[in-house]
Amino acid sequence: MELVNAYTKKRSSFGRQPLFCEQGPALCDSVPSDPAAQRGYVLRNPVHQPVQHGPRTSAHTVNTARAEYTTTGSNHAEGGWPKDVNVLDPEATQRYRRKIEKDENYIHCAMSLSPGMDHYVMQNNAIDMYQTYYTELAAQPPLERCSVRTVNVYRDPLAGGGGGGGGRPVSSVAWTPDGAGFAVAYAAMDAHLAPRAPLDAFVWDAESAARPAQTLRPPATLLDLQCSPRDVHVLAGGLASGQVAVWDRRRGAAPAGASPPHAAHRELVRGVLFVNSKSGREFFSGGPDGVCKWWDMRDLSAPTDEMIVDVVHSSFEAQSRARALGVSVLEYEPTIPTRFMVGTENGLVVGGNRKGKTPTEKLPAQFEAHFGPVRSLERNPSFLKNFLTVGDWTVRVFSEDCRESAVLWSPPQRRRVTAAAWSPTRLSLLLALQADGRLAAWDLLRRQHEPALAVRVSVEPLLRIKMHDGGALAACGSGAGHVYMVELAQSLVQSDKNDKALLTAVLERESRRERVLEARARELRLKLRQAEEGSAAASEEPPDERALADAAAEYAALVRRELAAL
Amino acid sequence: MAQEEDEEDFTFNVEEVQNIVRDNIEFCLGGNIYSHSRTPQWISVITEKTLARLNKLNKPFKYIMRMTVTQKNGTGLHTAAAYFWDITTDGTCTVRWENKYMYCIVNIWALALQL
Repeated sequence: MELVNAYTKKRSSFGRQPLFCEQGPALCDSVPSDPAAQRGYVLRNPVHQPVQHGPRTSAHTVNTARAEYTTTGSNHAEGGWPKDVNVLDPEATQRYRRKIEKDENYIHCAMSLSPGMDHYVMQNNAIDMYQTYYTELAAQPPLERCSVRTVNVYRDPLAGGGGGGGGRPVSSVAWTPDGAGFAVAYAAMDAHLAPRAPLDAFVWDAESAARPAQTLRPPATLLDLQCSPRDVHVLAGGLASGQVAVWDRRRGAAPAGASPPHAAHRELVRGVLFVNSKSGREFFSGGPDGVCKWWDMRDLSAPTDEMIVDVVHSSFEAQSRARALGVSVLEYEPTIPTRFMVGTENGLVVGGNRKGKTPTEKLPAQFEAHFGPVRSLERNPSFLKNFLTVGDWTVRVFSEDCRESAVLWSPPQRRRVTAAAWSPTRLSLLLALQADGRLAAWDLLRRQHEPALAVRVSVEPLLRIKMHDGGALAACGSGAGHVYMVELAQSLVQSDKNDKALLTAVLERESRRERVLEARARELRLKLRQAEEGSAAASEEPPDERALADAAAEYAALVRRELAAL
Repeated sequence: MAQEEDEEDFTFNVEEVQNIVRDNIEFCLGGNIYSHSRTPQWISVITEKTLARLNKLNKPFKYIMRMTVTQKNGTGLHTAAAYFWDITTDGTCTVRWENKYMYCIVNIWALALQL
């Protein structure tokens, strides 16, 4: 309430002193009481009177100034327009452009930017960014994928007849020389060598797995059947009776000729192999009686040659049948005509020479291969000095130079290894079959401690394998009488360019190692023998000491003489 | 005459002041029921208006204003005042206003400014 009373007064008219006097109490106001009015009011009881004693606070909110965001995209076909210029309006853009061009700095900017731009434009024109380069270079060879798949199964049509479920175990598989078919011999024999099942052997056509192309009927169980390398229709087989028989497919199922029992082997014939000859009709056979006989198909009445497999170390000893080692597998390489190899039932591999005159010349080499009979024996098609043997639970590779031991060998497998074969096309590959039906492909250049690939081909044990000359197919015969046609992946079929050199190096290295070990072993043996001989002549020790003392005394005397002479 | 005007100027005009006060009370309290909580507000309004108008009279007086608002519920009220002043120059004025629910008594004392 701003009340101001401003006044002016002359000094002369300043008021006189107040003349105070008392004025008695005067009534200001009087209101009489009126009880009647009270009846209009009622005493308020209770009266709610809130009392609050506390700090008085107030709420106050403050926020910072909010920034407004907008998201816009820019089309940089022509960028940098300021916000206020409407890009779609050609007049506005023209105006803006003219304004910029009139700017002083514009010329300088443009001049400094243009050389850089020139450089990049010319670079761009020189190189085409979107062209595909390096199309003319060959693609990298893909990672090696080894695989093996069963292409076909040729089931024994006579299976189920003979004893016990499965069928007749396959005793031999052989491809015909044209590679279009293969001959299979089945042998189901009991302990007395009497056949349990029908004796028929079949020639299958590789294309049709439903039925065999031809049946051959041997007089006894056929244990080995081979096709002649020259003639498609001629086959030779070894029988369980010890005889050998020859078939001509054109003539029919019965053998075209068989050897008489007295001229044949004394026990069953385990292996038959065709030999290199002008007519292509000569073959040789071997069996557990320990004798190898050579036959000519035109006259099977008597063998043309025979050799007792009995290794003798001196030329004075004669070979005797009693000591001969039973033959379990034969090996012959057509390019080395006079030499052959024999795997025995003792686990020895004996190299033979037909042209030898004395027994030592006839069986020059002997290798100790396995603990049981040698099941497979084959030379490497490119490295003829090296051959593989399959025996107890291992696969071994031998070199003819190292007589003492194998050059390479696989670690003992879980199950017996029943057969193996080299691949004709891939130098370092060998396929081995196991008694649990698995096919193991061993590639000596990849890994030597385990197979490069192991696949289970069948449930029953696999017994025989024969590779097709093309190298991609392999026929595996099983214990149930089925033949599985297995196809190898391309990486397992082909050899690379360096493979030969590399494999040579590998085999060279291994054989050198073996030779070194052999030499060392020989030295040790020599030393041992010398030590034994040396212990008999112990009295030579004192003369040595005496000689030493004498020499020392002589020297001392000489020195003294010289010194005295000085 | 100038002297009379001066004298008029120096004396306290009871009528005029009563009219002023009565107008203000009427304006503020007219027709209201007595409300204890609103009374301070009424009083402040009335005093402000009254003193403003008294000041506008431009008279050389000190004013003292006392206001009493009483609820009409049967109580009695008696006020009196005694003075020791200069009878010729100073004066007093009392206004009593009432409606159905309350009384309003306003005392104005005007004391002359000697200087």
